[in-house]
Amino acid sequence: MERIISLGLEIGSATLILALVSMGLALIFGLVRVINMGHGAMLALGAYLAWTLTGNGVPFPLAVVLATVGVGLVGLVFEVLVIRHFYEHPFETLLISWGFYLVVTELIKIIWGSTLKNIRNPIPGTFSIGEAGIGRYEAVVCLVSLVLLLGTGFVLYRTSVGLKVRAMIQNREMALMLGVNAPRMYRSVFVAGAAMAGLAGALIAPMFSIEPDMGTLWLVRSFFAVIVGGLGAIVGGTLVGSALIGGGTVLFALVSKQVFAQTVVFALAVLALRFRPVGLLGRR
Amino acid sequence: MREATISTDVETRPPRQEMRQRLARWASAENLLAAILFVVLFYVPYLVAGYTVYILPQYMLFGVLAMTLCLLWGLGGMVSFGQGAFFAIGAYALGITLQRVETQASPWLGLLVALALGAAVAGVIGYFLFSADVRDAYFVLVTLAISTIVYVIANSQSDLTGGFNGMFIERVTFAVPGGVSLSMASDLAMYYTVFAFTLLAYLGFRLLQASSFGRVLVGIRENEDRTRALGYNTALYKTLAFAISGGVAALAGALYATDAGFVSPSLGGVLFSTSVVVWVAVGGRDYFVGGLIGAIAISMLSNKLNSLIPEFWQLLLGVLFVLVIVFFRRGLIGSLLLVPQYLRGRRG
Repeated sequence: MERIISLGLEIGSATLILALVSMGLALIFGLVRVINMGHGAMLALGAYLAWTLTGNGVPFPLAVVLATVGVGLVGLVFEVLVIRHFYEHPFETLLISWGFYLVVTELIKIIWGSTLKNIRNPIPGTFSIGEAGIGRYEAVVCLVSLVLLLGTGFVLYRTSVGLKVRAMIQNREMALMLGVNAPRMYRSVFVAGAAMAGLAGALIAPMFSIEPDMGTLWLVRSFFAVIVGGLGAIVGGTLVGSALIGGGTVLFALVSKQVFAQTVVFALAVLALRFRPVGLLGRR
Repeated sequence: MREATISTDVETRPPRQEMRQRLARWASAENLLAAILFVVLFYVPYLVAGYTVYILPQYMLFGVLAMTLCLLWGLGGMVSFGQGAFFAIGAYALGITLQRVETQASPWLGLLVALALGAAVAGVIGYFLFSADVRDAYFVLVTLAISTIVYVIANSQSDLTGGFNGMFIERVTFAVPGGVSLSMASDLAMYYTVFAFTLLAYLGFRLLQASSFGRVLVGIRENEDRTRALGYNTALYKTLAFAISGGVAALAGALYATDAGFVSPSLGGVLFSTSVVVWVAVGGRDYFVGGLIGAIAISMLSNKLNSLIPEFWQLLLGVLFVLVIVFFRRGLIGSLLLVPQYLRGRRG
């Protein structure tokens, strides 16, 4: 019984953490159809900002907020300078945002160096349920992820802003005629996605070691989570995709090594992509 | 009747003009640049010795790798973020063959295994994806996953690949029928072997480009649905292109393994695969010579500048990549090659 509970906790936490990391990508991909290959660098940037701030005596929660805002600002600059000119060419944005990844990763190496860094766990200790347990900080991050998912869902499906965004996605010209300020919408979505990446990077920083390339693997994982979940369904799709990719890795890791489990899950995700290109919850 | 008219037409045309036209067609800026490049590469060992002769073959092999991406991207419009994976597959294929099979023919066998394995892996994955019409960003994602997977396998299967520590491979000796053997031990022999391979690869790709196969690929790039409507099995064409690209990339990887003497899992990793994308984008995706020069020039500069200004050079490269994508879609060499055409257009 304990074993099942502990496995359930592990799967749940892997799912929610991956969902947290994927959310920014899903938002930008799902709403403005930009494949943000710079997502990984944004995660790393968030983690490094949090590291510097906590190192200078800023309390961890405030550091997370500041890192979120900081990465959001970087996203804003990038959007204004480059991305906004290329919304009509989705494939070019993929390449350009990969360039963003290269530039930001090198800037991180110049500013912070290439050595591994760590942030001390801000909430040590574990919650235990019988024999099973979960790290207190990990639980808090899962909670934040849940709140973020629900919040995004609420904004998109229960507010007028969300209505306008969805109208713009469905029929851009009609939305423009009805008075939606499309360029500002696109910008807001992109900046929100960047900020979410910063938030995720800062939050996962105490759980994993921080290095300039830390975003690459997360990028691939969150990509698969978003695509396997489904393009149209931003919140539900991300959650389902994360459950399959994150939870699947945990399950396979029971019978093989962690890295190998990851590989198997990627291969399975390619299969899923082949037979259902719109994703499990996606619609054409 | 019509053929007769054409033949009289040719006869009445002044021979000198015909010669000039034929010459002009051959002496395009692209062919001239390629000719200059290969002549220079041929004479490099006469002019300098030592480190340059040692290191240049590795860069030429990177150039071949870049050309395999030109085939996919420039002709077929498919961007692969996983070319490094095939390079690594070829490198490990040669290394493992040399370890397991100890005969005189094993270097040849190793190259064969590399070529076959690279082409087979690319062909299977390609057909699997293209038959379901996976394209654009989704294809990028899958190729990204391929390179991650190859990296993980190379890293974790230590008994086969040497794992994290990599694999040492000696310079091989190719046995040629007739009792002659071609040892790659000297840098000079290696240089000219790789030179010949690069030249052959370039000519092969150019022939492929001019063939009907190449034209169908261009058709797919411009409008896949229309090409399919014309009756071409586009999935098959794309699969073939991917298989050729994977096979040649693996062959280049195998030669790289024996040349460099060392294979590490990072060859298959995402970072190396994406630097291939940078070479080709900066050089020019539409021209094989663009990719070739892009790879050689950027690798040489990286080598020089990595010791002087390591981080700033990589930063510069990233900025250059963004600038090229934003302003020079054709890449630096590609834009350069259009200058004569542009001038001619102004004059005429």
